[in-house]
Amino acid sequence: MARTRRRASESLDPARLSIIDSLVSAVAEEMGASLRHTALSPNIKERRDYSCAVFDAEGNLLAQAAHIPVHLGAIPESVRAVTELAPFRPGDLAILNDPFLGGTHLPDVTMVSPVFGSSRRRTLIGFVASRAHQADIGGMAPGSMPVARELIQEGLIIPPVRLYRAGELVPETLALILRNVRTPDERRGDLTAQVAAHRLGERRLAALAERTGLQAFQRASHALLNYGERLAREVLRDLPPGEYAFHDHLDSDGVREGTVSIMLRLTIEPDGWHLDFSGSAKQRAASINAVAAVTRSAAYYVLRCLLPSETPTNSGLFRRIRFTLPEGSVVNAQPPVAVAAGNVETSQRIVDVIWGALAQALPTRIPAASSGTMNNLAAGGIDPSTGHSWAYYETIGGGHGGGPGGPGITATQSHMTNTLNTPAEELELSYPMRVRSNRVRRGSGGRGMQRGGDGLVRCTEFLAPATVTIISERRAAAPWGLAGGAPGKPGQNWHAHAGRRRLLPGKCVVSVEEGDVICVATPGGGGWGTLAPRARGAASTLNEAEEHRDARSTGT
Amino acid sequence: MVAARRGRQLLGVDVGGTFTDFLFWDGRQLRVEKRPSTPRNPEEAVLSGIRETGWQPEEVVHGSTVATNALLTRRGARTALVTTKGFRDTLIIGRQERPDIYALQPTKPPPLVPDGRRFEVYERVAGNGSVIVPLDEADVSAVLDRVERSRAEALAVCLLFSFLDPTHERRIAAEARRRGMTVTVSHELLPEHREYERTSTTVANAYVSPVMGRYLGRLAEGLRAEGGGGRLRIMQSNGGSIGAEQASKEAVRTVLSGPAGGVAGALRVGRAAGHPTVIAFDMGGTSTDVSFCRGEIGERADLTIGGIPIRTPTVDVHSVGAGGGSIAWIDEGGALRVGPQSAGAVPGPAAYGNGTTPTVTDAHIVLSRLPVDRFLGGAMALHSDRAERAIASIAAPFGSDTRRTAQAVISVVNANMARALRLISVERGQDPAEAALVAFGGAGPLHACDLAEELGIGTVIVPQAPGVLSAMGMLQADVVKDVEQGLVLYLDPAVTGAVSELTQTFERLEQQAREALALEGYRSRVRIERWADLRYAGQSHELRVRLGRGLAGSTIRRAFALAHEERFGHSDAERAIEVVVARIKARAPGFRVPLGTTAQATDTAAAEQRAVVVWDRPRRTRVLPRAAVGRRGIRGPAVLTQMDTTVLVPPGWQATPQREGHLILGRRT
Repeated sequence: MARTRRRASESLDPARLSIIDSLVSAVAEEMGASLRHTALSPNIKERRDYSCAVFDAEGNLLAQAAHIPVHLGAIPESVRAVTELAPFRPGDLAILNDPFLGGTHLPDVTMVSPVFGSSRRRTLIGFVASRAHQADIGGMAPGSMPVARELIQEGLIIPPVRLYRAGELVPETLALILRNVRTPDERRGDLTAQVAAHRLGERRLAALAERTGLQAFQRASHALLNYGERLAREVLRDLPPGEYAFHDHLDSDGVREGTVSIMLRLTIEPDGWHLDFSGSAKQRAASINAVAAVTRSAAYYVLRCLLPSETPTNSGLFRRIRFTLPEGSVVNAQPPVAVAAGNVETSQRIVDVIWGALAQALPTRIPAASSGTMNNLAAGGIDPSTGHSWAYYETIGGGHGGGPGGPGITATQSHMTNTLNTPAEELELSYPMRVRSNRVRRGSGGRGMQRGGDGLVRCTEFLAPATVTIISERRAAAPWGLAGGAPGKPGQNWHAHAGRRRLLPGKCVVSVEEGDVICVATPGGGGWGTLAPRARGAASTLNEAEEHRDARSTGT
Repeated sequence: MVAARRGRQLLGVDVGGTFTDFLFWDGRQLRVEKRPSTPRNPEEAVLSGIRETGWQPEEVVHGSTVATNALLTRRGARTALVTTKGFRDTLIIGRQERPDIYALQPTKPPPLVPDGRRFEVYERVAGNGSVIVPLDEADVSAVLDRVERSRAEALAVCLLFSFLDPTHERRIAAEARRRGMTVTVSHELLPEHREYERTSTTVANAYVSPVMGRYLGRLAEGLRAEGGGGRLRIMQSNGGSIGAEQASKEAVRTVLSGPAGGVAGALRVGRAAGHPTVIAFDMGGTSTDVSFCRGEIGERADLTIGGIPIRTPTVDVHSVGAGGGSIAWIDEGGALRVGPQSAGAVPGPAAYGNGTTPTVTDAHIVLSRLPVDRFLGGAMALHSDRAERAIASIAAPFGSDTRRTAQAVISVVNANMARALRLISVERGQDPAEAALVAFGGAGPLHACDLAEELGIGTVIVPQAPGVLSAMGMLQADVVKDVEQGLVLYLDPAVTGAVSELTQTFERLEQQAREALALEGYRSRVRIERWADLRYAGQSHELRVRLGRGLAGSTIRRAFALAHEERFGHSDAERAIEVVVARIKARAPGFRVPLGTTAQATDTAAAEQRAVVVWDRPRRTRVLPRAAVGRRGIRGPAVLTQMDTTVLVPPGWQATPQREGHLILGRRT
């Protein structure tokens, strides 16, 4: 490493630096374009729940196409895990989803493949990696996001293994995976698309390194990482040094009563951050546990938001962040606990905690809390019209926090995710489900000089019996306001059956009958700043009453 | 195509942000004119251009930015929206994603229809087309009362699954029209699934059409006053034109009018030069429009204008934030960056005399690639000293060497554009190396050969009149009527015989398209293309496949299998497929205008030798007017000047004029 540092410090000229960044980023972008072009499932194609990245031979992230922030810190871990499989041959391709070995949660299936120069010496140039959320990877509930206690209940666990050996498919690996998922045809299509993206990325990275020359490419890579570090340092230098503490909690772990707290002591030094999560809750026999990679991703995401908008994404940006993550806590889970919700829910709360600490350092820049949950809904069963099993997964947007820059936006995904919704006209054509209403939840954003954005209410009717899993947060504690702004309204889930409506807990598995309706009302964002005296009253309970009425008047 | 009748006067006119371009053809000669645009009343530049030249065109094909500008500046009609109960917020929820994931505080553009003017009616059609909540007349009447009270000028109606059963939409529209409202109805404009995109397109149409209608009214009146009195057609985003009356009712179909003309023109030039597969590369002052065409104009399904999705058929053209005016800067990490900020037309590059920021154009001037005395045919003087000073302001990391700095600026902007071109190709499953690059716009031909080297492209084509290629494309484009019908048609492998439902749908659509063209006076020589959006049952993504006349289940499946194989590398004969949209494209031929006949503006500048920096160093380079290039061509390094562009021929490349006058550039073997 010492040698690396010294060599890298011979800086590249500003144009070479810009061009090499452009070339390497292009490899990641083209992999993403190829994956989207050839994937089969709506989850990848329409909701774009995937990321692609390029690494140097030492496993440093050189570029990541901007899609899913929660993958930021996690993909590097999977490359590290895969290096255990060395030595590699050209054409090797590893697959994994083990959250404790470089994964995040089981549906996120990662592939990593080494890239070699085409000269006789076959030098390792680097790696390309991709991570795509597969709509189902087996386990106790369709969609593989159950309310579980142990990882093994959540689905098939794939440790780093070869899916291709020297360019040849390892058929046993593929057969084993496909036999353990609910929709094998679709999985086969998506995995094939992921492999195709890799083959493109490998060719492009090899060609790039050939063109610049292998040694020059290595120098350029180091220069790129140093460049990232300089960009981050410029931003870090402007922050007031000091120690800032903040804590927040999850409503529940979904299994036992009681909140789950996350504590942070953030130390800002002139050239770096130290995030100390000591004091956070111990890991639970539940799925809200976040592996360390998820916690790091959350911090990287926050830093990335403070950087100028055209900043490239490489691991140099993150060199100046240090962590203290107590082992066996909810921010650094250890086997055998379940983790599905750690990735989608706890990650959002970790982000909130980091923003909360930073807001003390930068009171005129940081917005109030956003909805703080991805509002996951998974459903599945046997479709009576076809006799086949089906699995569906969606996340639902909420309100963004108001901030010094203006009011929060409404009904939009925030922070660690940015996946799209499924159109009502698509859903009803493909699944035994019908969207009854999808409206803004007016008045749910917290009041303030800058209002929080509103959440939304999505009511879905089931046209056949199904098992529905909801994993949601901010159902009890509200997204907080800042600088005198009011909190947003917490979310609510309910189930209408035979004309009667009952509230559901934030995390639950329910069996629904034909004609039942599930409504998910998502939280609004917190408000920012003290409201001027003549504020408007709560005009919008009307809207909510309307939802309740609509949900009750089911067709049964 | 129809060779234009002798003596018949035709005019292609493209209104851009800065210039209004005219291409006039009287059966013998082509004439090219440019006038400054008059953005507040765009028809003024058009009419005064016609008046000053004394032309009386019988037929005008027009590219307009009126609809686009109304959307971008939010100056459209006051619009109301009626939706299915439960879905009035679809317009603001959209697909629930944020445009920039790393924005500290993301923003979204406000909706075209605010909260108080979006209304719901009780009704519901299910995914199988059956009515599960019937429409109630009293409810419709009450909602339309509220629309009237909202003082809306235009009404958009978009109900769930109306493409399967339009009865409810039809009844609301009929009642609204009876009350004298101007209505856009989703099943008439875009009868296909995905409610947000359909609602957005329907609303956008309601919003821009009244503005377009008023504009075209003024233009038509002006044309009559000038004695032209002929037909007026408008270029649509789909690469074909349509009559002014239809364009003012469905103005949203014209949002990419100008770029579509450029792509149509580039494809036409490529064909003439024997290259059916082209990348159209239009590099202007602030941005670059790029399109990959494999033998025909490609279509895209993901267009947004100012954050608003528009789903009517659209030429597959993408905008890249790099142009001659793109600003070069050193970022905080010490890297040289070019764009996305642009100096635009005002203040423009430093060399224009108003600004001081270094731009791509200034870099070209420092490298002597843009002869300052010949810009716009000598009409505009460029200040090379100002360009030099601007580039010097970022030269510190380059040892204060302005030449090296300028070279660096060019290589960075080329790397950015190559990245965009490659990405656009990969997204379409194409390899850029298989295409010819058709370079136009003021800056395109300066960068084209460098990009070709970078992407492995063998041929660069510079059209004869690159500054008015878009107007030329409009004049030559077919008259095109697109009609479509969303459906849910399930074809399992057992269905091998005729699919009567699809046949009937196609016949009805064909009838509809023929009637629309007949209204414009095109009854004969109408060509019909049948297309369908197909997918495996249960998928959410379709492939658009061209179908023949025979519509047996087996032939449809075969066509789909082929397309799937080509795109994904595999297909599944056992799996059921779905027909999601049936599409008819009806074409009546546009005009064939022989380009070789353009009256050349005589460029009297003499050929000379200058030291021009190409690639790594200054080289003795011939600088001469393009018109002076003889039939046997010229070897690089050379700089060819003409009124509206500058062509750089690097060493090892040769430029040869083709029969119609387009320059073909290739590597010498």
